[in-house]
Amino acid sequence: MIYMKKSPALLIIGLAMLLWGWFNANGSLDGVQKSLQRSAYSDHMKVKEKFDAELRVATEIAAAESKPAPDMKMPKSQFDGAKAFQTQMCYIFGGIAGVLGLLIMVWTPKEGNFDYYLSIFPGMAYMLLIALLVRWGLDPLFANWGRDAQPTLGWNFATIFNLNYVVLGIVIGIVIVNVFRIPDWAANGVRTARFFLKTGVILLGALYSATELAQLGGISVAMIGVFVLGSIGVVLYMGRRMNTGNSMTAVLSAGVGVCGVSAAVAAAPVVNAKAAEIAYTIGTILVWGVGCMFLFPTIGHLLNMGPVQFGAWAGTGILNSAQVAGAALAFDPTGIETLKVAEIFNITRVLFLPIVVLWLATWYVKHEVGAEKVDLGKVLFAKFPVFVLGFILMFLLSTLGAFTPAGHYQGKYFSAEQIKEDKLLKVKETRAIEAELARLKEAVGAKQLQDHFKDKAINIGARHATPEDAYKGLAELIANKKVTTREQETLLAAVGKMKGLDAVAASAIDKASKAAYHNSKTIGAFRDWLAWLFSIGLIGLGMQITMAALKQAGGTPLIIGGVVGTAKAVGSLIVVLLFIKEFI
Amino acid sequence: MKTPLKLLLCHHGTGGALAAEALAHEFAVPGTTTLIHCLVVPELWAGMQGDDWLNNASTRDAFGNYVENMLESDAKREVAAVASRCAERGLACESVIRFGNPGETVVAIAGEVDADLVVIGSPRKKGEEGLRSRMELEKLVRGLKCPLLVAPHP
Repeated sequence: MIYMKKSPALLIIGLAMLLWGWFNANGSLDGVQKSLQRSAYSDHMKVKEKFDAELRVATEIAAAESKPAPDMKMPKSQFDGAKAFQTQMCYIFGGIAGVLGLLIMVWTPKEGNFDYYLSIFPGMAYMLLIALLVRWGLDPLFANWGRDAQPTLGWNFATIFNLNYVVLGIVIGIVIVNVFRIPDWAANGVRTARFFLKTGVILLGALYSATELAQLGGISVAMIGVFVLGSIGVVLYMGRRMNTGNSMTAVLSAGVGVCGVSAAVAAAPVVNAKAAEIAYTIGTILVWGVGCMFLFPTIGHLLNMGPVQFGAWAGTGILNSAQVAGAALAFDPTGIETLKVAEIFNITRVLFLPIVVLWLATWYVKHEVGAEKVDLGKVLFAKFPVFVLGFILMFLLSTLGAFTPAGHYQGKYFSAEQIKEDKLLKVKETRAIEAELARLKEAVGAKQLQDHFKDKAINIGARHATPEDAYKGLAELIANKKVTTREQETLLAAVGKMKGLDAVAASAIDKASKAAYHNSKTIGAFRDWLAWLFSIGLIGLGMQITMAALKQAGGTPLIIGGVVGTAKAVGSLIVVLLFIKEFI
Repeated sequence: MKTPLKLLLCHHGTGGALAAEALAHEFAVPGTTTLIHCLVVPELWAGMQGDDWLNNASTRDAFGNYVENMLESDAKREVAAVASRCAERGLACESVIRFGNPGETVVAIAGEVDADLVVIGSPRKKGEEGLRSRMELEKLVRGLKCPLLVAPHP
């Protein structure tokens, strides 16, 4: 079979990207970019104004000294950086697409692996093109419209409805498949969306610390355990009460309980689900999943949830796993903290999947007359999610410092040596700290400090911090004008949050703390690429959600799914708000 | 109305389809009419893996094969049932099984077999359980080059 479709589409996509890159590089698109990237352009104007003033002064000094005008270069602004990134990306991917597009046009396809692999590139380029349009065009456009309409509406509709690149990308994917249909030349490549998402999750493994993984793993096992097993139990009970068939009940309980469509796909053959039952279940789950993806981030913002809380809630309460990633990124599109939490929950769910499928297989055999026994070992082996091994491998490599020095994984790292001269404390600031140090050594101040430490339970290493530690830390800060160790930073950050502390001293301590942390360029770039992988993957997954499948939601499965889905979403929200704290 | 030589019966086992079959039998004349049973597997099945991304390829393949085999055996069972009922009446019967959009596919098959009458069942009542894959009547009416007969809902 020949997979490749002869079409100039890939060549055209490649040329379009190259043109965008070229117009960007020569400044022809500056007008468009200015209106799209307002904040970066505002930064650009500030940098330019500062540079112009410095150049003017330097020129005047040179003229006064009868020297030639200095040759100064304007520093790069955020706007320049964004344009350069777009240009670079367009040249690299436009170039690859152009070359492969030409190859598709001139090569006579023959059956084999080369034909198959070549056939996926047009679809991949199609998803990338949409991702570029959404991230560079629609995302900033909606953000600008939201801000512009705020004075009239009184609220920012783009923020409230999370109209960012994630949601817009998925919506465009859904619109394409249902209104325009996926072009034949792109069909093979669009299926690689799963590959992008799995790669994203595997790479995400590099961004966890052992502590984070242990904490999040513990919470997720507890929450998923309770809610997954609980919802499966409820569906099995309701199914029996409402006389839904055994296979229908089993496939619905997997879908509603574990990880949505993925669980239904894994369980259906094992419990001999009938065609209509599969359609009802998948339709119900997709309707709920898509609805939750829009609803959850809005509720999360309204309740002022943090990344850990929202990630835990989305990871437990959303029925379908694809929408978990979507909702997490929709909630926090610029960072990946929420995604990190949500994906741990997704991984926990998928690790539960083989066990749940085994449970349902056993349940089905027990309740269905004439059902054939299944090979439990074979099922367990076949359903084990292999990509989780990749995630664990990346985590191990990262922990061993294979990508960045230890401690850089969070994107920010501590280094007293790298603190720049202009970030050292000024005399006014050290004097304010000196005055506070003297006050804290007196009886009232010492008591206040002791109570604060007791209340916040601040630890240094394995022991509780004492006021003496704080005196020593503050004295060293005054002497060095900067923090010198991570322990000192942790301690002083806690002191800086003490009630009644002088505002100048508190601000100086905060400044010293922040100055000791630096952005890791490697991790920053890594995070950017992760966001691109998820963005492309979610656009592709959006293209798998057909209205024909959504329309199948109905009947008893919709009632059971609705009841259990709502109970799970509300129940997990209550648990998260009561018990999950932002401690990571 | 003259006796149809090639009567295309759209039938996929529902109550409406059984009513259409009964109506088709009224119009078909043994020895003259060939009843062509058209069974369309709706394309909604193509999107039935939804946005699953967590499973291994082997699990997705197993699901795909399972659904395909099930749809195939369901279709074959329906074809055999219709053929058997035709045989009881002495009617010549052929069958065509296709995957696609029901309306478009029926129009295409009617053209290919040169049907001179197409018989379909009426849509299910609202709220009644069943797959949501209704034939777009307008597409059918505009596309067919022969009369279309719609059996009332039983």
